[in-house]
Amino acid sequence: MHEMLNDPIDVTVAFKDNRVFPRTMRWNERDYKIETVNLVHTAREGQKRIFYFSVSDTTNYFKLKLDPEMLEWRLVELYTDG
Amino acid sequence: MHRIILHIDMNSYFASVEQQANPFLRGKPIGITGKDQERSVVATASIEAKKLGVKTAMSTWEAKKICPSLILYAGDPEKYSDIMHRFNAIYQEFTPHVEPFSVDESFLDITEEAEDFFGATYMAQMIRTRLKEELGNHITASIGIAPNKLMAKLACETVKPSGLTVVQPEELIDLLNRCKLDDLCGIGPRILKRLHALDIKTFAELRACPLEDLQREFKSYGLWLHEAAYGRDSSQGVNANSSDAKSYGHSYTLPENTQDQTVLKRYLFGLADKVGWRMRRDGVVARRITAHVRFGDFTSHSEQRTVNTPTADGMDLFKISWNIVKPLLTSDVRLVGLSASMLTKNPSQPSLFKKERNMQSVLCALDSLQHRYGTGVWKRGATLPLNLKQRSSGFHFDHEV
Repeated sequence: MHEMLNDPIDVTVAFKDNRVFPRTMRWNERDYKIETVNLVHTAREGQKRIFYFSVSDTTNYFKLKLDPEMLEWRLVELYTDG
Repeated sequence: MHRIILHIDMNSYFASVEQQANPFLRGKPIGITGKDQERSVVATASIEAKKLGVKTAMSTWEAKKICPSLILYAGDPEKYSDIMHRFNAIYQEFTPHVEPFSVDESFLDITEEAEDFFGATYMAQMIRTRLKEELGNHITASIGIAPNKLMAKLACETVKPSGLTVVQPEELIDLLNRCKLDDLCGIGPRILKRLHALDIKTFAELRACPLEDLQREFKSYGLWLHEAAYGRDSSQGVNANSSDAKSYGHSYTLPENTQDQTVLKRYLFGLADKVGWRMRRDGVVARRITAHVRFGDFTSHSEQRTVNTPTADGMDLFKISWNIVKPLLTSDVRLVGLSASMLTKNPSQPSLFKKERNMQSVLCALDSLQHRYGTGVWKRGATLPLNLKQRSSGFHFDHEV
């Protein structure tokens, strides 16, 4: 299942070696433990630089969007195996 | 002394990036497509999909027919562009002489840094390690090392994926003898056909053909073919400042084939505005505009116009390209596109005419908005879909207006 979303989420993160590592996220009243951060990339929205984190747990792939100006996290993509 | 050139090509680039991002796509045949997957082509097939017969630029329905288990995945150009900047930044750690050749390929001149081919091999391995650290295990690269760009690219193509091929000056002829003519960058289907007509089917036969005969058939390109047959590359070396665009263009595959001029105008106008904005953002104007149409039967037509007054205004670009496209609308259109070339730096000279000066200041204000909030913050009314709704109130006194 592959879904494009734009849902606000809560994320706990760790800061290490000048990098941000999402650890857990809460979406739809449910907590997900992030197992791996697979890729981080950035994109521009005008003058704003947006960060995207491609992360996964044991069964799901999530693409998280961080707006550093608003300090807002959103879940923008979900892929579930099978 | 020979130069030492590295050609680095990311393997199945778009697909590898998606497999790096999403572990559930790894080891599976995937094809990266446009947004509308049904009418799109496979821009990149994963290594697994290639093994099952899927090829780059194959239409999605054909790819699905060949490989029913193929997972089609809409591409994310911003992501690929960001990663491209990151791997080119890694190359810059090793040499300042880096020439990006395409979104997933670059040439590096490491003559001074590597000193010899052994040093070059060691450096190639170090680059590969850095790529893995920065981007992950699944975005891999093939590397070719040779005395010039042409041969480095050919060497790179010989072992994929994750190959590392070193071709020293004395091995160039041997490499060419093992390759087909069209393996070489610069020999496309048309040149190949003309070479076959001259009964030239191998590099050995190309070398045996007198230069005069090649020049008679191919004019100035004959010399290039003659030199290439010996593994010589007459082009300039690695040009680290070659990032200036030669042209700007956009094309769009319509959701369904149509001959409707209103619909086609709307899409072409939208494309012209996109091209115009990118040129103004980069401070260039164009004198040549090329319009491109692909019809429902997959035949294509493109035509160009050269104008006296260079422009970067979407309205001008649209008018010129529509004049090209309009007479061609004799059957259903599948794709429209336009590109602008013959670029010069915009001298920012104000027009003599008030109307044009007003339009320039409007564009300037709209560009400031796009700079601040991003592309797509404004659209012309003419590019929006027309959706006339039935009246829900009133006495219909305007029915004759």
